[in-house]
Amino acid sequence: MEIFLSNQLFIYLFSEGILFVLNIVALLGSLSILKSWDFNSTKPKQYKLEKRTYLIVLIILFSLIFKIFLLPYFAYTIDSLSSIVPGAMCGAGVISANEYGNILLFLKIIILFFIGIWLIINKMDQDAYNYPFIKTKFWFFSIIFVLLTFEFVLELIYFSNISLLTSVKCCSVIFGVTGDAKIPFGLSTVMLLVIFYLLYILNIVLSFQKNSLLLFASSLLFLYFAYLGVENFFGTYIYELPTHKCPFCMLQKEYFYIGYFLWGTLFLAIFFGVSNFVLKLLIKVELEVLYKYSRIFNTIFVILSSAYPLAYYIKNGVWL
Amino acid sequence: MKKLLPILIIAVIIIIVITSISKQNPMITTQEGNTKKLPIEIIPNHFHDIECAMTIESEINSAQAISPSGKTWFFDDVGCLMKWLEDKSFKDEAILWVYAKDSKTWIDAKKAWYVLTDKTPMKYGFGAREKRGKNSIDFEQMQLKMLRGENLTDPRVRKKLLGI
Repeated sequence: MEIFLSNQLFIYLFSEGILFVLNIVALLGSLSILKSWDFNSTKPKQYKLEKRTYLIVLIILFSLIFKIFLLPYFAYTIDSLSSIVPGAMCGAGVISANEYGNILLFLKIIILFFIGIWLIINKMDQDAYNYPFIKTKFWFFSIIFVLLTFEFVLELIYFSNISLLTSVKCCSVIFGVTGDAKIPFGLSTVMLLVIFYLLYILNIVLSFQKNSLLLFASSLLFLYFAYLGVENFFGTYIYELPTHKCPFCMLQKEYFYIGYFLWGTLFLAIFFGVSNFVLKLLIKVELEVLYKYSRIFNTIFVILSSAYPLAYYIKNGVWL
Repeated sequence: MKKLLPILIIAVIIIIVITSISKQNPMITTQEGNTKKLPIEIIPNHFHDIECAMTIESEINSAQAISPSGKTWFFDDVGCLMKWLEDKSFKDEAILWVYAKDSKTWIDAKKAWYVLTDKTPMKYGFGAREKRGKNSIDFEQMQLKMLRGENLTDPRVRKKLLGI
């Protein structure tokens, strides 16, 4: 429980608490709108609902955009806790301090995807004159709210179960740098890189072809192989150490916080890659601009990751 | 061609993954059921040393320990075997095999002779021989030296034995 005395954690949980209260207010408003909304009606109730919609959307918008900024802050909080959790050298040790950490991180990323989709639907709804997606977006917010509730509870359980007396594992143990770390499917590093770059090309080709279903699938595959690529190859050049295979240490000051940019661009690349297919499912709309953003962020991520090994090779004349 | 490109890329990725899976050679740290308690043939890069976590690349310098139940552990260096064995409850009953460099066969570790200056994977320096040599020591002495840290990893011992 002493962990709650950490400044960063206090600020984080306080912000999360306020957002959760705002979300409850927004949910109640959303439900009343869902119950009585009829755009064709000319009754005062509908007029009142339209005015209330503006407020509710504003609350949701504020809370969800704030949530986006809270994910990097969560990573920063976790990283800062590594200085007080015994054994932890970076966020990896703190996240795996108990069984809830990794589930929480996964849930946060999923929620962020949902928030992104909600923001796009909301933008399209507000740009139209007759609120065409209002019911979809409030239903969708209700689903997000369920996830947010689950996340908030999980957060409280996770943080209250981090012991400051028991040692946790450091990243070199978690990510197996003691010599037995293996890339899944028996892939060699070279083959992993071949798949990484092939998937990047595939994403670019599919985004030009506007094939949302295949782009959805290849983006998810790219997420997996890009993570493996950073963990097993690109990350080692960030640390300039062949045995250091941690996806968290790069979030630290010593590596110029490059992890935030790297993981951030990967997230955006994947998000824009999958979003058109999800939008098609939800509101039967496809946006050209999302394909363009997918290409841009995929390219930034690949350039950013590849720059480290290349710079190392140019400087030293050898690979790690 | 443009339409075929994604299919081609997907096909290449699938081929790479399937080929890698089929080539996969799972690492083995222990092997159960060795009731005859005979040494198991070392397949290069297939066995894992539980003590130092290194992959065993060759049977040269390697060792094996077999518990009374027939469970076998593999080591890339005799020194690793000694370190690992020390706190095991069955250390007196365990069957220990070492690969002798002179006869190129597996021999009982307790009957082997050990030179102190071999080039071994973990640099402890203990090399097993079937026949007694000029400066070789027996199993008990080797075990004692290893556990005391009197091996080539100690700069003073290295200086004394190799002059470097």
